[in-house]
Amino acid sequence: MLLSITNIQRFSTHDGPGVRTTVFFQGCPLRCAWCHNPETQSGCPMLFYVAGRCIGCGACVKACPNGAHSMHPFGRTGRHDYDATLCKGCFRCTEACPAKAVEPVSRMLDPVEIMEIVLKDKVFYGEKGGITLSGGEPLLQAGGCLELLRLAKDNGLNTVVETAGHFDATHLAPIAALTDLFLWDFKDGNAKRHKEYTGVSNALILKNLRAADALGSKILLRSMLAKGINLEEEHLHSLAETASGLKHCIGVELLSYHPYGGSKSEQMGLGDNGRKDWIPSAEEMRLAGETLHRLMRPGIREPE
Amino acid sequence: MSLESPWNRMSLESPYKHMILESPWNRIHREPGGNNLEFYTAFNEKRPIRLNAQTREFAWESLHGRYGEESLRTPVVAVDDIIGFERMTEYGKYDAAIARIAEMAPIRICEFETVSGAATLGGAIDHVVPAFWRGGKLWDSVSHVTLGFGKVLETGIDGIAQELILRLADPALGAPQIEILESMRNTIGALRVWHKRYLEALARVKPAIHGNLIHVPFKPARHFHEAVQSLWFVFAFERLCGNWPGIGRIDEMLGGFLKRDLASGVLTLDEAREILAGFFIKGCEWIRRDIPEDCGDAHHYQNIVLSGMDVDGQDVTNEVTYLVLDIVEELGIGDFPVSVRIGGNTPEKLLTRMAEVIRHGGGIVAAYNEPLILKSLTEFGYSTAEARRFANDGCWEVQVPGKTHFGYYPFDSLKILLNDTLGLNGTPALFDDFGSLYAKYLADLKRAVEGIYRDTVRDRTGQLPGADWHWRTAIPCSAVSMLTEGCIESGLSYLGGGARYNVMSPHIGGAPDAGNSLYAIHKLVFEERKVSFSGLMAILQSNWEGQEALRQYVLNQYTYYGNDHDEADAFTCNVLNDFAGIVAELKGRCPILFPAGVSTFGRQIEWAPFRTAVPFGRRKGDILSSNTSPTPGTDSAGATAMIRSYCKADLSRQANGAALDVKLHHTAVQGENGVESLVALLKGFVALGGFFLQPDVVDATVLRLAQANPEDYKTLSVRVSGWNARFVTLGPEWQEMVIERTAQGV
Ligand code: SF4
Ligand code: SF4
Repeated sequence: MLLSITNIQRFSTHDGPGVRTTVFFQGCPLRCAWCHNPETQSGCPMLFYVAGRCIGCGACVKACPNGAHSMHPFGRTGRHDYDATLCKGCFRCTEACPAKAVEPVSRMLDPVEIMEIVLKDKVFYGEKGGITLSGGEPLLQAGGCLELLRLAKDNGLNTVVETAGHFDATHLAPIAALTDLFLWDFKDGNAKRHKEYTGVSNALILKNLRAADALGSKILLRSMLAKGINLEEEHLHSLAETASGLKHCIGVELLSYHPYGGSKSEQMGLGDNGRKDWIPSAEEMRLAGETLHRLMRPGIREPE
Repeated sequence: MSLESPWNRMSLESPYKHMILESPWNRIHREPGGNNLEFYTAFNEKRPIRLNAQTREFAWESLHGRYGEESLRTPVVAVDDIIGFERMTEYGKYDAAIARIAEMAPIRICEFETVSGAATLGGAIDHVVPAFWRGGKLWDSVSHVTLGFGKVLETGIDGIAQELILRLADPALGAPQIEILESMRNTIGALRVWHKRYLEALARVKPAIHGNLIHVPFKPARHFHEAVQSLWFVFAFERLCGNWPGIGRIDEMLGGFLKRDLASGVLTLDEAREILAGFFIKGCEWIRRDIPEDCGDAHHYQNIVLSGMDVDGQDVTNEVTYLVLDIVEELGIGDFPVSVRIGGNTPEKLLTRMAEVIRHGGGIVAAYNEPLILKSLTEFGYSTAEARRFANDGCWEVQVPGKTHFGYYPFDSLKILLNDTLGLNGTPALFDDFGSLYAKYLADLKRAVEGIYRDTVRDRTGQLPGADWHWRTAIPCSAVSMLTEGCIESGLSYLGGGARYNVMSPHIGGAPDAGNSLYAIHKLVFEERKVSFSGLMAILQSNWEGQEALRQYVLNQYTYYGNDHDEADAFTCNVLNDFAGIVAELKGRCPILFPAGVSTFGRQIEWAPFRTAVPFGRRKGDILSSNTSPTPGTDSAGATAMIRSYCKADLSRQANGAALDVKLHHTAVQGENGVESLVALLKGFVALGGFFLQPDVVDATVLRLAQANPEDYKTLSVRVSGWNARFVTLGPEWQEMVIERTAQGV
């Protein structure tokens, strides 16, 4: 079984407890306007193109059977242009490019191969650290996730799955059985807005979340706040209410929106999706934290 | 008297003779209160406040150069008027000069100090004995040495004086020995003079400190405050005489005093922290107000080593260990680089405290892997007890403190490959296979190391390594000899072979660059055959001109040392291990110990112009790897991968040390999990067999801001390459190098 993986990041310190290796899965059913990892959305272009690395050698033009690469005789002389819409993903150009200016967004990897990389850092994991499956939506490739989690458990690793919750419910029980902690994205408590900004309804997400809780899974809710969108009372209320209704929720983490996926989107020819006016101030984040704390049942960890 | 020298500004009729410097600086520049002062941190929370407002103010003004500036106004004393100076023997001159320093150096007593004594002659900041004759220096001073301060606390200086008297009674002593031993006595005499001047000055203004100083450093210390005073006074005297000693294992030396005082209730932990903070703040008295652009100002080698086992194998970690961490955490003082010996017995709490300090940035706290170093030192030939005593010289080179004369000899292993093996500076060589290339490289390396050995030995003895052994006469350094075990016994000086251990260490630099170069040749020429050997040599000689596609290919398509890539790492590890083997063969040929070590200490900057383009795609003049760290720009797999690559070499064979610099991005260590992650890195480093880890937390954006507005970032310290420096005092290339290496772990 091969998995479509965009990145394996060692020494991750923000994707669960301790030192972790985070495996980023390609593909996501959501289309969040603020996505930090646009390369993991399915159907997106298959190449990263970093113009700054390109030396204009033209090797990709010769290699591409579909004319996706071309050279600019005028303007930036000798510079190269890439049209993502013509690319069919044969990766001949990425092999030809000496400068790694074009690179595949994802690679197909075997779970055993992935685990080999993850295990390299076993000495750093200690009791708390381990593997985190992230993405994208890892549970879009549920079979692969299951295989990876099984291998992780065979090797005594702590397992974290980061999910947006929008997946086929039949996968939940086997995955939950091998997962020490879910980092569960709670995008928006307002159903209408959820649909508008992520492209899907939040109904399935909430249903899966409650089902995971019923299975006894430990859950850390995470919500990214963007000013003018979900940084408001209704969302915080519903976040607090949802968290309070879960028996195994260990906390809620509020993250501040940052136009982060922006440069990556550019590298994929998607244009910049970063919105400076969505960034909340430190004070707004602090207030949101306070509000949340006030509304939540005691026993849930204070938001950071 | 010639007036040409900038050092001659201090006249003989010094107005400083008995003066307490009472500067108006206090009233003009003082900030509203110590608690409003902010010491730079890379972390997203402020540094904790435990010290009182006055102590914090004292730290602030010291870190901002108040006392350094004062010292520069009184750089040296002149000895021109000493009758018959010219006709004196070298030791006679030295003793007269030290006596003059003791009599004339300005006395400084600061309002909020907890210990007294100050190295007020600014010339010492330039590593000379600050006593000049006809406007010129007489002797260089001594550094890279940790003196026997523990003995001062235990027996007092009087104990050492007594030892000298007894030794001098030996009728078998020769004249040179007597002269050296008498010079040590005279140096102690000078210390008495200086001490008396402080007692006089302190009597009215600081009765408590006066009370301590009546007793120490001449008598053994009786309690914690006296012990800190004793240590500081002798340390300050050494620095007054121009020397830059390391401190060594401060928690082992002071822990017992504090324990007794806490138990008897004469002192609280908070009071002890204030006292000890005074020691650290006083240690910043050489920081200058202006910003000299250099390789950083904060490296006077006053190193501190914490924790680890004592001679009996017991963990020495105690309250002093934690107080030191409290102090550097709060004040961000990087002038005393703190290295903690960690390993099997290290309390979890200590690792956590280290991580909490490290995350603020400044690179102040580094880690030794104790089990590996003990193995390394005993395999090298030290007894178990001696090995357990290890501290360092002032940077991180391992030595037995208080009994080691140390020097190191850095060389560029990349240049040897490029010039001697590949002939890139002349007619290029030709090799048909990798094996013969590597064999030639090892032969060239061997020749270089043997040359260093020969030169070192000849330098110290005037002879080649052989059976008939004696030391060459060296410049006087009695202030150092008197605190170095072996010198009194032998009647020889520190520089003249008197120390128990005489250690000269060849340090390989550029090993990762040599490894990467060999790897690139192996892949490109012998494996993939993309270019012929002579073709590649021609390309390198023309600095990759017109070969951008191939250059990009070797830069990007191969993985180099530092990414946990076994194949690539093997090349660098082989260079390191083979170097250690070459050095080991020279063992035992003479009484000079010759342990292998790895360092550049920033020399990669001065070496750059003398290297040609390299096979792994970098051009002539590029600044390459530091210490045992990956070449900048070649590592992208993060801190854990880098540590793993580094640990693949058998670092225990580098008995003098091999440092890895890891710069972590500030966001990687934020939050509660940041501390746990740092602890995990430290533990992994130990488990994998690392030697010395210098972690730093930096924010490249802030470093850029500091470049633009140096005035606003005077307290921002960074780990450079074995020491810390205030970032703004680094020259442009150094600043770029630090910024370039800030990306790991993101
Ligand atoms: S991946 Fe294939 S189709 Fe896409 S741009 Fe490269 S060569 Fe062309
Ligand atoms: S092959 Fe790479 S470097 Fe060359 S033109 Fe294409 S993208 Fe640029």
